[in-house]
Amino acid sequence: MKRRNFLQYLASSGLLAFVNSEGVQAAFAPSIRYLRPPGSHDEKKFLSKCIRCGKCGETCPNRTIKFFSTENGISSLDTPYIIPREQACILCMKCGEVCPTGAIPKIEYKAEPIMEKVKMGMARVDTNLCLSYQGKTCGVCYRACPLQDVAIKVGRLEQPHVLEKCVGCGLCERSCIQIPQAIRVIPKYQG
Amino acid sequence: MKSFLRHLNKLRWLSLSIVFSMLIILPFIHLYQTYEAAHAYDLLTPTEKTISDTVEALTSPFVKDPDELSAVKGNTWSGTLFGLKLSDPLAVLGQIFASMSFYWAFIVTALIPVVITLLFGRVYCGWICPATFIYELNDNLAAWLRKAGLPVSRRKLDRRIKYIVLVVGLLLSVYFGAVMFGSVYPPAIIGREIYYAIALGGFGAGAVFFLLTLFFDLMVTRRGFCRYVCPGGALYSLLGRYRLFRIKRDVATCNDCAKCNVVCQFGLDPLQDDFGMECNNCSACIAVCPTDALSFTVSTHDVAFQGPGHLGHKYRKAHPDVNTSETSVQ
Repeated sequence: MKRRNFLQYLASSGLLAFVNSEGVQAAFAPSIRYLRPPGSHDEKKFLSKCIRCGKCGETCPNRTIKFFSTENGISSLDTPYIIPREQACILCMKCGEVCPTGAIPKIEYKAEPIMEKVKMGMARVDTNLCLSYQGKTCGVCYRACPLQDVAIKVGRLEQPHVLEKCVGCGLCERSCIQIPQAIRVIPKYQG
Repeated sequence: MKSFLRHLNKLRWLSLSIVFSMLIILPFIHLYQTYEAAHAYDLLTPTEKTISDTVEALTSPFVKDPDELSAVKGNTWSGTLFGLKLSDPLAVLGQIFASMSFYWAFIVTALIPVVITLLFGRVYCGWICPATFIYELNDNLAAWLRKAGLPVSRRKLDRRIKYIVLVVGLLLSVYFGAVMFGSVYPPAIIGREIYYAIALGGFGAGAVFFLLTLFFDLMVTRRGFCRYVCPGGALYSLLGRYRLFRIKRDVATCNDCAKCNVVCQFGLDPLQDDFGMECNNCSACIAVCPTDALSFTVSTHDVAFQGPGHLGHKYRKAHPDVNTSETSVQ
């Protein structure tokens, strides 16, 4: 091998390693806050299992599930996602029923298995925006929650407190009357 | 028997049309189901009301509960047909490589397609694939353009390119940890894009890719994507290599008219007994043969070139002593 070729090889492989490094990947990662359908595995396993057939979206009775184009990177192309502020998951578990590959596991439509296995994210309250924390009694998020007093409870002036059991369906975020919303679901892949 | 085989091509068009129209109907059925699930008919826009009324009028004689319409869901990439889950073998292969694991509940869904391919070869490509429906119409368009004097290219490329695409696709699936075929495989793209266009209000990125393949077919080579690029076609070719049912030329009734070679969109050479792995048993050549020399046969191999047809000029010149009473068949 000639020295020039060797140096070229070295430079290009160095560049490739740099581009593939975690910091650079994180810096260029798009900042979309989305959820995966209920019960999905973690992001990496989900992407490796999903074959992009679109049946989850075709089954969703609430038209919650949408599909990525190129905005979240090539490996997310045509994969299902949920933006809770636009349309939140009603936890009907029909997407898991039709998913052929197990990317969205089959979960029984009952409270216990759902609470146990579904973890799309975790709701978080912004006390600076939340009306109840500003002295105006609201409590809409509490009333929208399908798991009242298990996933969310209210204190004085209906101030919401999110509990550990929250499955991250996003119905609270969808229903929040503040603009921008005072309660958001933080996806589980964002920690 | 022969007269029945001549009509197979019409049956094939019927099958292609049914599959394609199902892909258009299913998103509307899904929309109707969501309207029903919402219990808010009065809040629908006029367009949505029209969709809801139309689907209801069409389906209510057959099913009572809109939920029962879920019996048929999905597309040819992976779908449910009255409880039977079917998947494309390419989806299964890609998923095995992407996830590096075997999920048997998914793998068995490709069993029926694989068995059919082992028996009939690339029959999926000719009879079911929703992309074939458009590609064949596109090929007719090419014929029109050619008649109008526009240059339509019919280059010959290497058939083995598609196997490279298949292998590279599998390697990329391993590297990215995601099934990459879904975005370059026309039937998967069409199934999705029709759904996006009807239910989600617009085409996605795949539609652009599919348009490019149409231009590729027009400007570079006839049915080029299916013959030279398609990874699914490559997989089906490999699986159907020793298919049991294949088309065979009967040399005694062939008159060397070469109509079969012209009509074959895959550029095969029935006149030379050359069908090979690419033949998708579309039976267009059987339908066009004026002397019914082509028919199906049960064999794992094509026969070697049998020489010129006995009713053709070449053969009769070489064998002047043969009784030519058979020629009156024409």
